[in-house]
Amino acid sequence: MSPVSGTQSLAALAATVSHDQPMKFERLMFPTARRTLFVSALLVAATVACTDLSVAPKSTLTDANAFNEPGSYKAYIAKIYGGLQVSGQEGPAGRPDIQGIDEGFGGYIRLIWQMQELPTEETAIAWNDAGVQELNTQLWGSNNQFLVAMYGRVYFQVGLVNEFLRQTTDALLASRGVTGDLLADVKRYRAEARFLRALSYWHGIDLFGDLPLVTEEFALGLTPPKQSTRTEIFQYIVSELTAIRNDLPAPRAGGYGRADQGAVAMLLAKVYLNAQVYSGTARYADARTEIEKVIAGSYTLDPSYAHLFLADNHTSPELVFSIPYDGAKTQSYGGTTFLTHAAVGGSMDAKNFGLDGGWYGLRARPEFVALFPSTSGAPDRRSGALWTDGQTVAMTNLTDFSKGLPAPKFRNVTSTGAPGSSGGFADVDFPMFRLGDAYLMYAEAVVRGGGGSRATALGYINALRARAYGGAGGNITDAQMTLDFLRDERARELYWEGHRRTDLIRFDRFTTNGVWAWKGNVAAGKTTEAFRNLYPLPATELSSNPNLKQNAGY
Amino acid sequence: MRQTFCVVAVGTLGLAHLAHAQTGRISGAVTTAEGARPVVGAQVIVAGTTTGSVTRDDGRYVITVQPGTYTVRVIRLGFSPDSLTGVVVTAGGETTANFSLQVSAAVLGNVVIVGYGTQEARNRTGVVASVDSSQFNTGRVVSPEQLITAKVAGVQVITDNEPGGGINIRIRGGTSVTSSSEPLFVLDGVPLPVGSGSNAALGAPQVKTGRNPLNFLNPADIANITVLKDASATAIYGSRGANGVVLITTKSGTQGTQLTYSASVSNSVVSREADLLDATQYRAAVSQYAPENLSKLGTANTDWRGEIQRSALGQDHLLAFAGGRDDLHYRLSLGYSDQNGVIEDTKVQRTSVALSYGDQLLDKRLDVSANLKGSRTNDRFTPTGVLGAATAFAPTQPIRTASGDYFQWSDQLGANNPLSDLELIHDDGRLDRSVGNIESKYTVPWVAGLTATVRAGYDYARAVRSNFTPSTAQGQVETNGGGSFSRNTPAMTNTLLELFGNYNRRLEGLQSDLDITGGYTYEQSDYDSTRVLATGLSTDLLGENGIPGAESQQTFYDSQESRLVSFFGRANWTLKDKYLFTGSVRRDGSSRFGADNQWGVFPAAAFAWRVIEEPFMKDVGWLNDLKLRISWGLNGNQEFANYLAYSTYTSSTSLAQVQFGNEFVTTLRPSAVDANIKWEETASTNFGIDMGFLSGRLTGSIDYYLKNTNDLIFNVPVAAGTNLSNFVTTNIGDMENRGIELALNGRVIEGANGAFTWDASINAAHNKNKLTRINAGSTGGEQVLVGAIDGGVGSNIEVLKPGSPINSFLVYRHKLGANGKPLYEDTNGDNNINEKDLYVDINGDGNINQDDRQPFESPAPDWIFGASSQMTWRSFDASFTARAYLGNYVYNNIASNLGHYSAVRGAAPGNLDASVLSYGFVNPQYFSDVYVEDGSFLRLDNITVGYRVPKVRGLSQIRIYGTVQNVFTVTGYSGIDPTAGVNGIDRNIYPQARTFTTGFTVGF
Repeated sequence: MSPVSGTQSLAALAATVSHDQPMKFERLMFPTARRTLFVSALLVAATVACTDLSVAPKSTLTDANAFNEPGSYKAYIAKIYGGLQVSGQEGPAGRPDIQGIDEGFGGYIRLIWQMQELPTEETAIAWNDAGVQELNTQLWGSNNQFLVAMYGRVYFQVGLVNEFLRQTTDALLASRGVTGDLLADVKRYRAEARFLRALSYWHGIDLFGDLPLVTEEFALGLTPPKQSTRTEIFQYIVSELTAIRNDLPAPRAGGYGRADQGAVAMLLAKVYLNAQVYSGTARYADARTEIEKVIAGSYTLDPSYAHLFLADNHTSPELVFSIPYDGAKTQSYGGTTFLTHAAVGGSMDAKNFGLDGGWYGLRARPEFVALFPSTSGAPDRRSGALWTDGQTVAMTNLTDFSKGLPAPKFRNVTSTGAPGSSGGFADVDFPMFRLGDAYLMYAEAVVRGGGGSRATALGYINALRARAYGGAGGNITDAQMTLDFLRDERARELYWEGHRRTDLIRFDRFTTNGVWAWKGNVAAGKTTEAFRNLYPLPATELSSNPNLKQNAGY
Repeated sequence: MRQTFCVVAVGTLGLAHLAHAQTGRISGAVTTAEGARPVVGAQVIVAGTTTGSVTRDDGRYVITVQPGTYTVRVIRLGFSPDSLTGVVVTAGGETTANFSLQVSAAVLGNVVIVGYGTQEARNRTGVVASVDSSQFNTGRVVSPEQLITAKVAGVQVITDNEPGGGINIRIRGGTSVTSSSEPLFVLDGVPLPVGSGSNAALGAPQVKTGRNPLNFLNPADIANITVLKDASATAIYGSRGANGVVLITTKSGTQGTQLTYSASVSNSVVSREADLLDATQYRAAVSQYAPENLSKLGTANTDWRGEIQRSALGQDHLLAFAGGRDDLHYRLSLGYSDQNGVIEDTKVQRTSVALSYGDQLLDKRLDVSANLKGSRTNDRFTPTGVLGAATAFAPTQPIRTASGDYFQWSDQLGANNPLSDLELIHDDGRLDRSVGNIESKYTVPWVAGLTATVRAGYDYARAVRSNFTPSTAQGQVETNGGGSFSRNTPAMTNTLLELFGNYNRRLEGLQSDLDITGGYTYEQSDYDSTRVLATGLSTDLLGENGIPGAESQQTFYDSQESRLVSFFGRANWTLKDKYLFTGSVRRDGSSRFGADNQWGVFPAAAFAWRVIEEPFMKDVGWLNDLKLRISWGLNGNQEFANYLAYSTYTSSTSLAQVQFGNEFVTTLRPSAVDANIKWEETASTNFGIDMGFLSGRLTGSIDYYLKNTNDLIFNVPVAAGTNLSNFVTTNIGDMENRGIELALNGRVIEGANGAFTWDASINAAHNKNKLTRINAGSTGGEQVLVGAIDGGVGSNIEVLKPGSPINSFLVYRHKLGANGKPLYEDTNGDNNINEKDLYVDINGDGNINQDDRQPFESPAPDWIFGASSQMTWRSFDASFTARAYLGNYVYNNIASNLGHYSAVRGAAPGNLDASVLSYGFVNPQYFSDVYVEDGSFLRLDNITVGYRVPKVRGLSQIRIYGTVQNVFTVTGYSGIDPTAGVNGIDRNIYPQARTFTTGFTVGF
């Protein structure tokens, strides 16, 4: 039945009324019958009228009207940044961006941090949540909720960016009458969006290898995309970053927390430095060239190493690209709220860390502690965060917080010791890219044969060492500047900042080489199989997208 | 404008006819053959018409009909039907037709109510079960569904033990996962939105305070609950019929005037408790596993769960004034109910008014009736976390310290003192709801058997839920929150307009009866909700009554509407009184469906063969009824959220802003969307046999059904990059339910004149559910985790996975030791007890990880049995209802969360579940199959004894009775309740209570 035939059935009913018993109809009921006919006609008209089903949302915007207001462009690009910061649209939790995981677990930075740090010697977490111990021991499977969610986070960012680019084509902007300053702003937003997409694709290929390359050319819908190789996406990232560089402001000129040419150069340097892993071809010279651009920016080393991880670290001159958090306005259970809380427990007084309580989670493994000359911060101040009271250096038990030394270097207090704006949510910004890292990358590129100057490299290393030792006491010589040294120095300088897994893979120490406590789920540690240099694609994704091939070994 | 027009146009219909031929009346009395006592509530039907009446307390009835010669039939539960032919009615005259009924076996409903009409049970083709008020469960009954617990085969009523708490009904297993599996409730013709999806964000909006939305309806006002089970019966409800339909008919007045007052008082006590360590056992556990914490233990011996419990009193009153004369009948009732829960601060209180009015106008051609119901329900909720805190609090800690303050842990990880939270936190709800309808049925004068009905209905509800947590509550103290206040006020108005015609005719030449119904309905639902959330209150003094100034104050407002427009038709054709055909179709248009799927068609067909009427059955004396039935039909389910077909752009709140340069920006996020979303579709097939033996003393039926649900709406992982989030809500799943239902009713002992009589009925239902698809591809890897548990963060214990029943438990297989207990030792010699020692490597990859968790059993019972008996002897009556489940599994979350010694470590050691003494787990084993227990049980739900006081001057009746509910439960399950909610997770559920009720009814 169509709506018309539906009314026809009523019309037929009316017809039955009229014709079934014409005798009575004419003899007794003529006036009434006329009225009945009239009413029936009205009825038919009414039912035709009452088949209107158009009911559109009233209390929410839709894709049909959202961009009819100039402010929406900024609100949208801010959300793409926000995808790295918060977990949903209601802080600290509520209306999550992605599903399939507890929202507090599902923040971008928390997820990538766990995947980069937990399988390494730098840390292990004491909790029993489903799948978390698998990250500690490198024995994850393709249903691990964290890797599934991280995969979702990468494509949440990609999807947001693609939709933004589709919604801001020249034609659409013109049709909405976008001109002048707004038009210029939107052009820059588009470049920032492409930077953020490149960033997430870098995280994607670093963790998962071959992935679907979905761009704004791909229409929204249910058609599964094809799988591209890691190399193809690597090349795409390079081409995107190269293309947008000049649409972005100079280093430190773009406003805090926003992408600029410094962030672009740093991200390019990161992918070039790992090009051997991603594409099979080393690009150390390109990496060095990009790092030189970063270093040529107006960044300086923060005189205080500790300040880089405090509630007021946004004032640090060392940050190249950071993920801002605010205890009052940008709340979530991920990001630095996780980093500050999870490292606190045992005999620590949470108040001294600007917190309302500790989460008894993160400790360093003994192999990391051994990289420092002492556990007390003397002479290398960077070990000053290690907490020994009530803890053992040996990690005889993965799930007992008192085994292993916590290293709470992210603290929700300011450099003057004042607590952050909220004990529950940290003000600390996550330093994704910083100059100290660039110095180490420069040295590594040089040592790996990417050209440049060994003397300059040594100067950079010793600048970091001098900050750590409070003088030249820790300086090294040119002969000491080996790859092994740089590998360890990266741990000392950059521990718990989300770099370690990538670094270890580049140094070939993540799986078949390198042993630390609980690697492979034995107390003393053992090597694992090489295929674990990549995470598996999520089992659910393989079902949703038949074009995908699982990574070897899984 | 168009809507206004259509209402006016339709409203005119009922008034269109002013001139009529005169009618006549049939009246008489219906009495018992033995003893000539009046039979109350017998249905008197004029064959070939839709006209009929119900006998009053004195057994009398009056029916107004057109002049003519009729056959009049009488039907009453417990009696053999009777009929009288050749009843002549003249214009303006009154003809007497008296009946004298023989007692027979109890048969559920001889005239059954079906969608948009009634049908004689003998002629029914679909699967319809009707429960009359005389068969309802008694005692402390807050919600209407409890009236029919264990009464109908294949109908599972799942309560959460809290008085008036959430109730789920599953008819023949659920057909949905993401949208609702609740049946459609229709109250006196008005559909009620009470279904709720498992995912709150995806469910249709509804207005409730947190308890069962049907609590607004006073069970004492209900005359009949009819359950439509197969597609042949439910397809007339189209896109809302997939989960079955529950038709609730409320009481109306009868001839004469009656004033009835009923009252009851009840008391409930906890009947089953969690098995936790006592103070001595707990101290021993701490000494052994966390000696560093010995100094933190107090010296008390506190039974925390006992401290928050109480003996819960309840009272219930009903005053009903009903009557009628000539063609008019009316009923007015006032109800008051006040029921405490067995946990402090749980309370439900309801004041209700119901008015029913009916009259015949325009020379009896126009039946006008109206039903209005209104009620206010006040709820008080035990503050969230109190039950869990009372379970986890260490038994050695005192309630109060020496200074008189409540004992509290200084560390945030410790549980809050439950008695402090009980005293300080207030969580209240109030629901005002009114449902009403006005119906006029016009008997068209010039076509015999043709009637036209206009029904206008409304459903208005407004709820308030407010929560006040003062700054002194421990949770606020720990986070320096300063107190919080929230208030949520959703409101909804649904309006309904239905017009339908019925044509009912005996075609003598064709030896056929024809009954055709067709019509149109229009429903509009408007919903809005305002939510206020304030934190950091400047003072606690205003309590729940205001916001005195707050550091943060957020307001949320939402407004939604939806519309459903339908055309429907049904034809019943009875040939030679033995071949019965039914066909129906409904075409639904819903605003919830995507642009390309706005209309759906839902057909059904059924055939039944009354074999007993065939000549060859004449000699089969032991069999007095035999009917074979077959039906097929399509149904839909549209109980999902509004606007799913739109990509909505959601703004961030003030707490989820993003720093953008030097400013904080409120962000905008698009949602993932499938613009072509549509209804879920269930195709059902039913085969049934009805039988009667021993002259009708024993009747029974057997049904086999198969339900295939397609286009299941699922919030599933979507191929990365194709949409705007990692999950999208779309029509992607398939599911299957198949089962058998058996029902047997017998008049076991028949006594006359006050001798002992015993009616018994038993029913059994088996249902097997299987999810067959949830994604486009099928590598076997697709699964969606559900079933949140305590233990870890975001832990889920159940899974939706093709090949397994929905909500199957997803667990590791725990290795068993030689003693049969789950292993807890270092078997691989690595000096460490971990998952490698304990769990079976299911996929054989040498590792134990999440991939080794496999579906294992499910919460849905394999078999449900129900048994009821009603006995009378002289002035005494007694009844009982019992229920049993076989093969339902329950996850004991108290045991899994607290059954490991590591819980006594840390800053705030908590109590342990007694299972730890047996298993010896040190680390938690949340995902072990050890905690998935067989929940099979037998429960005596209800036992009632009553006494009817012999005639007292001035009173028409007095009955006093006593009821015990939840008399005993026999089960091997170790936790609190083997019926732990619809999802089978025993996660700090409300404790079971045994309830004792005594009451009386007086008629004046």
